[in-house]
Amino acid sequence: MNRHVRRTFYLFALGFVALVGVLAYWQVYASESLANDPENSLQTRRAIEAPRGFIFAGDGETVLAQSEEQPAEGGQNPTYSRIYPQGPLYAGIVGYWSTRYGATGIEIAENANLSGTADPATLDELINQMSGGPQPGNNIVLTLDHELQQIATEAIENSNTGRGSLMALDPQTGEILALASVPSYDPNNIDENFPSLLEDPDEPLLNRATQGLYSPGSVFKVVTAAAALKSGVEPSDRFVDSGVYEQPGYTVVNYDDGVYGAVNFAQALALSINTIFAEVAVEEIETGTITETSQDFGYGDEFEDFPLLVNPSRIGEGNVAQIAFGQDTNVSNVFEMALVAAAIGNDGAMMEPRLVREIRSPDGVIINRSQPSERNQVLEPEVANTLQDMMVGVIEEGTATVAQRPGVEIAGKTGTAEVPPNDPNSWFIASAPADEPEIAVAAMIENGGDGEEQGLPVAMAVIDAYLETGQEPETEDFPELGPDGLPEDLPEGLPQELPEDLPQVQPGGLPESIPEGLPPEIQEFFNQNQ
Amino acid sequence: MAQRATMPMILALAICTLGFATLIFVQEATSPPLIYGAYYAGTLFALYLAVRLWLPNSDVLILPLVTMLTGIGLVMIFRLTYNVPDAEGLAITQAVWIFGGSGALLFTVLLFRNYHRLFDYKYLFAFAAIFLICLTFTPLGYEVNGARLWVQVGPINFQPSEFARIALIIFFAGYLAEKRDLLAATSRTIAGIQFPNLKYFGPVALVWAASLGLLVFEKDLGSSLLFFAIPLLMLYVATGRIAYVILGSIMFAVGSTVAYFLFSHVQVRVRAWLDPWQDPDGEGFQILQSLFNIADGGLTGTGLGAGFAQTIPEVQTDFIFSAIASELGLLGATAVLLAFLVFVYRGIKISLMATDDSSKLLAYGLTTMFAIQTLVIIAGITKAIPLTGITLPFVSYGGSSIIGNFIIAGILLVISEKAGQKERGEPTYDYERGTA
Repeated sequence: MNRHVRRTFYLFALGFVALVGVLAYWQVYASESLANDPENSLQTRRAIEAPRGFIFAGDGETVLAQSEEQPAEGGQNPTYSRIYPQGPLYAGIVGYWSTRYGATGIEIAENANLSGTADPATLDELINQMSGGPQPGNNIVLTLDHELQQIATEAIENSNTGRGSLMALDPQTGEILALASVPSYDPNNIDENFPSLLEDPDEPLLNRATQGLYSPGSVFKVVTAAAALKSGVEPSDRFVDSGVYEQPGYTVVNYDDGVYGAVNFAQALALSINTIFAEVAVEEIETGTITETSQDFGYGDEFEDFPLLVNPSRIGEGNVAQIAFGQDTNVSNVFEMALVAAAIGNDGAMMEPRLVREIRSPDGVIINRSQPSERNQVLEPEVANTLQDMMVGVIEEGTATVAQRPGVEIAGKTGTAEVPPNDPNSWFIASAPADEPEIAVAAMIENGGDGEEQGLPVAMAVIDAYLETGQEPETEDFPELGPDGLPEDLPEGLPQELPEDLPQVQPGGLPESIPEGLPPEIQEFFNQNQ
Repeated sequence: MAQRATMPMILALAICTLGFATLIFVQEATSPPLIYGAYYAGTLFALYLAVRLWLPNSDVLILPLVTMLTGIGLVMIFRLTYNVPDAEGLAITQAVWIFGGSGALLFTVLLFRNYHRLFDYKYLFAFAAIFLICLTFTPLGYEVNGARLWVQVGPINFQPSEFARIALIIFFAGYLAEKRDLLAATSRTIAGIQFPNLKYFGPVALVWAASLGLLVFEKDLGSSLLFFAIPLLMLYVATGRIAYVILGSIMFAVGSTVAYFLFSHVQVRVRAWLDPWQDPDGEGFQILQSLFNIADGGLTGTGLGAGFAQTIPEVQTDFIFSAIASELGLLGATAVLLAFLVFVYRGIKISLMATDDSSKLLAYGLTTMFAIQTLVIIAGITKAIPLTGITLPFVSYGGSSIIGNFIIAGILLVISEKAGQKERGEPTYDYERGTA
């Protein structure tokens, strides 16, 4: 009898081993495919059960994204939905977070931090993670200047076409100050709006600043100029413009068919003379140097460490003469062109562009703070400074004289990129103050027309705001002072004259008498100096 | 010796304490889990001491395993029903059932130390089993989720089949031990197949068919499977004839096919097993949610309290192992499976060491029921076989199941006590010869 009892035990043991095998199949082998099964809602439930971290603008106060607790339905854990208090203003950067349509922008780039699945950084987080409870995510502080972002977005919206993009950054640190793409969309309620946003012909879901690709037009001449300076062309080298530059199979003419006669290279940039840049590109610069220089400036680079998706600017096979002034197969965006302006202004050193300044734990402990780092030395400092001076010439005596500002030297370049049959795209890049720029900007208004008419005012609005915000309040904000050192007119409701019963002050600055009851040291000091 | 015996018990209690301690962190509930934990640990440890005192030679691992399994069950039930409306009190109820089960175990141990007397009343047990199953057809019985398994007597609701199983195993153990030689002998051959004398086989077949038939009409697939398989295996062990198993398997195949075409609820189970995705929100919902949660656990699990096993309907009863696999992962689930296997091993060992046939068969029958129940429900929730509604012994929520399983543990303990006494050379009463 025992023999048969044993036999059945072996059978049972075999059964248990088989069960472990079945479990291993589901939990290891088929785990991922089941997790992604369309009927499986567990991942979504997990994602909405913990509050995601906040996303703040550069001031650390302006909330760009937050999780809001939803009333729990019977017995379930509370869930959270994502709120974007700034609406469309930051949509291109912050992105959206949807359980149905996935996530974009900072929401996905920093998902590990925001969702609390990153490695624990504090003891609290470690305990929380060990016990497996839903963990609040870390908070992200961006580098963006809230005021500049607003000004940039409004300026683009008020341009003639209302479509365009702008990027502003600090050339010395690489911190991005503003990154605007208009039209944008409201990331709140993305689940409902997503299908219609996809079909919108204005492409609001596209971040024009980093993902759009447009002919840069004449703003690219600064890259060609850099290549020329590297090849030995001097700003003072003289060229003669006859209004046309003949090329086998193609003739270059100036914008608006201008004829400038004898000019030097610096003036050619200031006046944005296509024919001379075509001549220089074909005759003075070795084949490949322009492409090489553009790559040093970031062309062809996806900026993989940058949290947003960057569509690399590129130069394809094409006519060198036209590529030299930003036409033909040459396409770029304000992200790339702002970096170009910044690198030239920063003695040729391009800083790694940064959008995330700090990562903080839910209780505010700084977990990670990004540091400025140099991406590469694009140009020799002397070459960069020469080019920066040439760009100052654009503002001082060239195509962008309307950008002149009292007391501040600005380096810039306009661009009017032809996109027939539509109106040209209106570009402007600039950095200021020119000798040691604190801000570099690139702005582009789609089909806006001449660079100085639409792109320039948008970029300058941001520069004006930034350079003023960095300074002490202007004296003109104070009321006019009268001869007695008092304001001529005070706001109503304030006493308009000095009170009459003020104690008479002696020449030594001391009153004639002091009230009794003051500490003895003061009394003694008063008596000694009386 | 005493220390060696107590160590597993202390380990088992430590595992449960760890579980409750984790719940404090996770659910941010301070006192309730502690109170359950302390109360539970106290009950089980007192039970353990009492059994050590009264049955000093009994198996040392049975109670620690019961403690660990009920403890894991209680932790999971508390975790799964915490803050769930209409289910919030389930953990307390389960704790009360465990208390009741402990009482039933003590009662069994005290009353049936001379359990051989049970076999004198084996026919009574057979009638009792059939009577219990029949109760559900009386006005006392009622239906839950399409199966008529429940009986209400006064304030007490219970599932008679949980207790009928034990009664039936006692009957089979007693009867088969007495008639095993006669059943093994061939009396006649029909068409080349050898058949035992119908006179001796008759009562077995009758009781077997009666209980099975009744359960089929109750729509209780899980119990039907158990009632079918256990007598068959006991018959095999008693007679040593594999022919019974082969014959039984053929009958099972035919019976299943007939049941499939006869009963719509069998068809539903089979459809949900073959392709749950064809009706993911209806018939296939429960098994799909179970699979998703098991897969969600991965190798190491989501962590206690971090899973979503509440998405499985009735998770605290039949599907509690899905929640364990989800939150403790493959490693934790395998550990729990090993605990079940060790229980089966100890039960088989008790059967092997038992000194007489009826004790052997009784221990074997009870252990077999425990093993098949575990294998069938876990294979069911992992979609290895069609789902049959039976509880996971000791772990699932349910009063009848808990008390029934504690009684089984009690009977195994008294059988092991007898074997242990003999091994130590203490005088024992030989029931078969009637002499000391």
